[in-house]
Amino acid sequence: MSGTRRWTRRRILDEGRLILIAIPVLLWTLIPIYHLFLFSISSKDSATSGRLWPKEPTLQNFDFVFGEKHFYLNHFWLQLWNSLLIAVAVGAISLFVATAAAFAISRLKVRGGRTVMNLALFTYFIPAAFLAVPMYKTMGNYGILNSQWALILAMVTIASPYCIWVLKQAADKLPWELDEAARIDGASPLQLFRLVFLPLMVPSLVAVGTYALLLAWNEYLYAFLLLSNDRSFTLSVALGAFLSADDSPWELLMATGLIYALPPAAIYYAFRRYMVGGLTAGAVKS
Amino acid sequence: MAAVSFRQVEKTFGSTSVIHGISFDIADGEFTVLVGPSGCGKSTLLRMLAGLEEITAGTIAIDGKVVNDVESKDRDIAMVFQSYALYPHMTVAENMGFSLRLRKADPKLTADRVAQAAKILNLESYLQRYPRELSGGQRQRVAMGRAIVRDPKVFLFDEPLSNLDAKLRVAMRAEIKALHQRLKTTTVYVTHDQVEAMTMADRIVVMHDGRIEQIGTPLELYDHPANLFVAQFIGSPAMNVVEGRVRVREGAGWVEADGGARWPLPSTEGLSDGQAVAYGVRPEHLALARGEAPVTAEVIVVEPTGAETELLVEAGAAQILVVCHGRTEARPGDRIGLDVDRAAVHLFDPASGQALTGLHERATAAAA
Repeated sequence: MSGTRRWTRRRILDEGRLILIAIPVLLWTLIPIYHLFLFSISSKDSATSGRLWPKEPTLQNFDFVFGEKHFYLNHFWLQLWNSLLIAVAVGAISLFVATAAAFAISRLKVRGGRTVMNLALFTYFIPAAFLAVPMYKTMGNYGILNSQWALILAMVTIASPYCIWVLKQAADKLPWELDEAARIDGASPLQLFRLVFLPLMVPSLVAVGTYALLLAWNEYLYAFLLLSNDRSFTLSVALGAFLSADDSPWELLMATGLIYALPPAAIYYAFRRYMVGGLTAGAVKS
Repeated sequence: MAAVSFRQVEKTFGSTSVIHGISFDIADGEFTVLVGPSGCGKSTLLRMLAGLEEITAGTIAIDGKVVNDVESKDRDIAMVFQSYALYPHMTVAENMGFSLRLRKADPKLTADRVAQAAKILNLESYLQRYPRELSGGQRQRVAMGRAIVRDPKVFLFDEPLSNLDAKLRVAMRAEIKALHQRLKTTTVYVTHDQVEAMTMADRIVVMHDGRIEQIGTPLELYDHPANLFVAQFIGSPAMNVVEGRVRVREGAGWVEADGGARWPLPSTEGLSDGQAVAYGVRPEHLALARGEAPVTAEVIVVEPTGAETELLVEAGAAQILVVCHGRTEARPGDRIGLDVDRAAVHLFDPASGQALTGLHERATAAAA
């Protein structure tokens, strides 16, 4: 029994209302995932049969995926590796850019810092889809169109403004006296950054890095646009290829999708403590 | 030698001038307290000395060298902040040794200095703890330890005891004073609490609205305040001040206040009949009279504090605070007489607030 609060009529109504909302939302969220799981353990014929649980659940689909035994999955492992590589690179570079920017704007109080940050945030007014073609042209101008760097840099550009903003808000919460004490102790700005700022920002850094990483992991449009080689595609693009024909092996698509969804889920779960705190650290100005 | 000197120091924030031409000297080894109400500029002055604020005009010199353009870390100072400013992610030992670590000092030397400072401050058993695991008083001592390890020329304290409870404050006051007697380092201490100033300082600088009101030893400020502000700021409870006019009749003189109360004067030398004055006398220099008394008053409130009794009385139109030793039988509503210690009377010009000088000297001369 939770606490000593009595089950008053009012409380029953309140809880009932919440449950009434929660159940549909839960179902809405879980049914597609269950569907995904369902397909991935069904054989090709029974997948669309409409049953809640397959007559003969099988792991054969996963065998197909891991063994690269289908045309669409020819480069599964390579593409999974590409996804990982690009996501980690985006996460790391965004983190580096955002951390340095937040330190400069918040602690060094560089002139025009806030203007730069606001301008960066302003770019979010333009939907990413609108920027896709200009981005394509820009990458072409730089001559990196067919390399993965195009995608990495594009994703860093998209992720950075938000990352800078979150880190700046979090940095603002660090007491000013720490900087002053460090200055008097003899710290140069770089020492201040390395020895005082970074250790105290770890929760926010984890949250922001994870955000950028997952943003890149899930990206489809830019990956599709900026990568043109089977061998350099990310797995998200490969998954998109499945949809090009009517008789696609849905069960393989679902199996691959399920596999693709696991790393983000694992990462998010591992860092769940940091995610809420790290992202909301700057949410409420106090 | 680590003397500090301020010469015509000014500070403006934007178009607001907060410090107007401050000049004074601090001798080597002296414990100087900057005291004044909130907003008087004492913290700003300290921060300018520390190098945390730009100096708009004038010069500050440490050990004879002007430090206006010298970085904080090169001024050879150490500062203890009101909020301790301990690095939360470092242990006590790391906090205290941070400045040496930044200079890439020999780790053994760092450890020795930290151990030494910890010994002086009774922090030896806390060296591996983190700030969040310490009480307020312990954190304050770690902050002091961090300053000691630097072995600076000047210690700066910015209201370090404001965040502590009353009892702890009293204990830490004594500790800081003892530390100063032991290390003999020049210390500049900022506080708004005049009791701290009185108990700890070799010399006090009373500040108000960005200007110095008076500089002197605690007892000098207590016995001979130069103006009304210092008179009412130093000493607790505050000095009673009554406005009135001097009356001289047949060689005898008194100050007549509103409501007819007649406040006694030690002498009338240098005073003219009808002169407007502000009459000041401290609560502890008033006593309940037995028999005839120059001033009569009605008791309003009686506050026993144990060792003393504070009485709020109404004399004429003014409310006067009286502090007497021990207990009293006076009750609210009683009419009592007040005896005034004539040697402890202060007169001020009501317009400028300046003390009328020479009052006591003339009184002493006249009595001799």
